[in-house]
Amino acid sequence: MSGRHIAIAIALVVVAVVVQSTLLAESRLQLFGSAPALVVLVLIAVVRYLDPEPAVLLGFTAGLLVDLVGGQPVGLWAMVMTVVAYVTLRVRDRAADGPLVIGVGVLVLTLMAGGLFVILGTLFGLKPLSDPAVFRRLILPAIYNVVLAIGVVPGVTKLLEQRRPRRGWA
Amino acid sequence: MFDLRRFDRSTSVFVGLLVISFLLATFDVRAQGEGLGGNLRSGVQSLFTPMQRFAGLLMSPIVGSVDAVSDLAGLREDNELLQSRVRDLEEELADTATLRQQVAELEAVLGLEPPGELNSITARVIAAGASEFDFVRKIDVGSADGVLKGMPVIDEDGLVGRVVLVTDSNALVRLITDPSLSVGVRVKETNETGVVEGQGTGELRVEMFGAVDPLEAGYRLETAGSRFPPGIPVGVISESATAEAGFQLIARADPAIRVSKLDFVRVIIDFDPLELDPDLEEESAELSGVPPTEQESQTP
Repeated sequence: MSGRHIAIAIALVVVAVVVQSTLLAESRLQLFGSAPALVVLVLIAVVRYLDPEPAVLLGFTAGLLVDLVGGQPVGLWAMVMTVVAYVTLRVRDRAADGPLVIGVGVLVLTLMAGGLFVILGTLFGLKPLSDPAVFRRLILPAIYNVVLAIGVVPGVTKLLEQRRPRRGWA
Repeated sequence: MFDLRRFDRSTSVFVGLLVISFLLATFDVRAQGEGLGGNLRSGVQSLFTPMQRFAGLLMSPIVGSVDAVSDLAGLREDNELLQSRVRDLEEELADTATLRQQVAELEAVLGLEPPGELNSITARVIAAGASEFDFVRKIDVGSADGVLKGMPVIDEDGLVGRVVLVTDSNALVRLITDPSLSVGVRVKETNETGVVEGQGTGELRVEMFGAVDPLEAGYRLETAGSRFPPGIPVGVISESATAEAGFQLIARADPAIRVSKLDFVRVIIDFDPLELDPDLEEESAELSGVPPTEQESQTP
């Protein structure tokens, strides 16, 4: 895995954070008041092509960026994204490849990311459970991510696959 | 028996990063956004601002098209609503003229200085938080423009929130819909005070202490003072509520602002709540029945 390879991965995550905090944060463009969790999706797509240690570090970096660009305690999303990256790594070598597996993987991992944030946010006093739309905020981004994966996953594959052979469900 | 050899290198890195994340979060919460977390955040905010501005420029035609379509659909309804509003305002204007005269007379009698308009600067909203659970907006003014942490932010409809982070050229505003932000309010119709808390989405939660009068739907809530200048619209009670056992009253209110249409806001720059004497503030809060809760349980 080359430095260029990692640079592309970091660039993709940065672009995802920028798009998430601008275009996807625009309420007028959101469907039913929710947006895809693009950073989570890009992370899942990218981690599939990275070595284990850089992959986990990329998850941590992505989460840290989400924390620092927004207004939440530094470290919460870093924790969540590190877990997402690690679970993606563990699953990619064990599950078979295919669109259905990728779709289910994206759905479950996005739900897990949101759920984990709600738990951690509650522990750190953010009161995410006081939001009556908390389940909508968990479920809709996961569904949107599955739809968006149709474009994002092949795009990331095109950028990274030639540089590294695919493994497992990835 | 637990065998460390079962841990491969990536698992060790994973566990290490989890521990670092947990410590970062703990320290950031305890430091209330200052210290290492605050410095990191300021740096990243400055770094991302040009990229977010660029992304904002790219997306403005898309937002414009969506707006045009939705505006067209609601144009007739808006027209009728506006005509009715103009009639109401004309009536109110007549009443206001009399009231102004009365206030001027009263001020002259009491020898009070008129409070005058609070200075504010206009800012454009350039970005938001990067997750579904982040209720902040980033604006394009910062310390170079005189913005300080804690300053109130308003728009033409009412209170938007409070500045929680400032860099040279931009600032982060926590919205009143954020569950971690509480605002002391006064009911315009009954003059009773309470606290409003965001719930993330939709309505605000209103809690009145020692309320005597019930809250009727349509009652207007405005800031009670203290950490925000008094009299800024906060919301409107959405359904009537009465006090339970004669003490606590909990109701719901629609926010005065439209969170989905925050393009431009104003930062009130000559109101610095941090300059307030905390003891005095606490005392006045006790006297008015508003607990000193105009604070964030969580600040970046």
